[in-house]
Amino acid sequence: MYFAGVDIGSTMTKVVILDEVVLASVIGPTGAEHRRLANKVMEEALERANISFDELSYIVATGYGRINVPFADKQITEITCHAKGVATLFPTVRIAIDIGGQDAKGIKISNGKVIDFVMNDKCAAGTGRFLEVIADTLGLKLEEMGELSLKSKTKVKISSTCTVFAEQEVVSRIAEGVQIEDILAGLHDAIASRVYRMAEKLKIEPDVVLTGGVAKNVGVVKAMEQYVGFPILVPEEPLLTGAIGAAILGKELTLKALESGKPIERGARRLEEATFFK
Amino acid sequence: MAYFMGIDIGSVTTKAAIIRDGELIVSHVMPSGANYRIAAQRVLEEILAKAGLSLSDITYTIATGYGASSVDFAGERVTDISCCARGVHHLFPSVRTVIDIGGQASKVIRVNEEGRATNFVVSERCAAGSGRFLQIIARVLQVDMKDIGPLSLKSKNPITYTTGCAVFGESEAISRVAEGTPKEDIVAGVHNAIAAKVSNLTDRVGLEEDCALTGGGALDVGLVKRVEEKLRVHLLVPPEPQTTAAFGAALLAEERAPTLA
Repeated sequence: MYFAGVDIGSTMTKVVILDEVVLASVIGPTGAEHRRLANKVMEEALERANISFDELSYIVATGYGRINVPFADKQITEITCHAKGVATLFPTVRIAIDIGGQDAKGIKISNGKVIDFVMNDKCAAGTGRFLEVIADTLGLKLEEMGELSLKSKTKVKISSTCTVFAEQEVVSRIAEGVQIEDILAGLHDAIASRVYRMAEKLKIEPDVVLTGGVAKNVGVVKAMEQYVGFPILVPEEPLLTGAIGAAILGKELTLKALESGKPIERGARRLEEATFFK
Repeated sequence: MAYFMGIDIGSVTTKAAIIRDGELIVSHVMPSGANYRIAAQRVLEEILAKAGLSLSDITYTIATGYGASSVDFAGERVTDISCCARGVHHLFPSVRTVIDIGGQASKVIRVNEEGRATNFVVSERCAAGSGRFLQIIARVLQVDMKDIGPLSLKSKNPITYTTGCAVFGESEAISRVAEGTPKEDIVAGVHNAIAAKVSNLTDRVGLEEDCALTGGGALDVGLVKRVEEKLRVHLLVPPEPQTTAAFGAALLAEERAPTLA
């Protein structure tokens, strides 16, 4: 039996297909507001797993764009899916922190279950968006920021919380001739501090796992470690935990239904674009 | 003939005012730029030229605002809260609450019968509560800042921004433009969002009438209307709302000038 998890984030769509192990995973752009390209990402994942759409026993959609996915059997919140995915990869996890393109979440996990969570989706500070805006200003690629910041010897303090004001601060520092790596180190500290202050409400204890696109930035990971005071775990592919969790939850639901002899409720299953407005 | 001067170096604009016998003679507004020391020198030269005066004609100068410490020629520095309160009090003695919406910060100041600030609250950590949010959206819509107000007044269905963040608001405005939402509704939505932030501030220090609106935000008729609707008060707007604190600084300079032997 095959199971798929579809995680439609604000920026990237992630699809995972698994049976006993992960058979295929694809990460693609989400697409514009009313044309979400999750179906394209799904088609590519099916091709890589070398199975047909109808062979999927169950499909769970999650993430910010999970509503109105015409080919999903069920929608499950990203908090539940992330927790499931992280706990599967790291059974010792107590705190999962996910920093995505437009939000940040902290989840407290006990025995693989969510016991509390905090979230920011109201302000760009402390999300991937903050780094995106700054990368744009500096003319840097997002993926080079992390490594570059590690070269810094004297981190610059970024005093603004607001992304708009921080961008301005960065422009002033550049004009003053401050080294880019020192500015980047300051920015990574700023985002880590913001996320830490949010997650702190959960009482942070080891193990802490960092996921989401921002977890690919080694500068932010190191800065977060400074705040929590111990090493942080990062999955090999930090973007996929939500989709993995979604697929596993689908698998659990299916096995439970089979066990109790009940029919499995499925969606209409049209492999079309996911819309945002119905 | 004694002249007194107030210089207000804001984060976005620099303002100056010269008074004589408590009355405004001349005022000046210019961008602050990146260097406040240069802004201070330039505003001094420009306002003196405008007034046909030289620095020796000015008996006493008070500096205020974010960059007040860069004004070398000032006799002393006073907070923009006190200066704004003093300026408004002179223009409208009945005012007990001043709302100031600037380029990067919003303030609400409670003022007593003598024109002194008794309480205040400042929001300067978030662009969404300031003129900056409007600037960002005006750029998306390619509308000139001076046309924003009249445009907003045409709106019948202001949009509601889903977050209180200027960065996310910018993306929302871009999607709305793509969907064909009228520009006036996108702009009026920003005015409502700023009005909501201002309302949070007035909740913290209280709102007593009469009320005045100052700062660059007061030049925007759309913003004035939305703040009035949100707070359910009439707002008194000075003829030159941007120079209120500079004018107040000049009035304080006249009061506090060291007596010359």
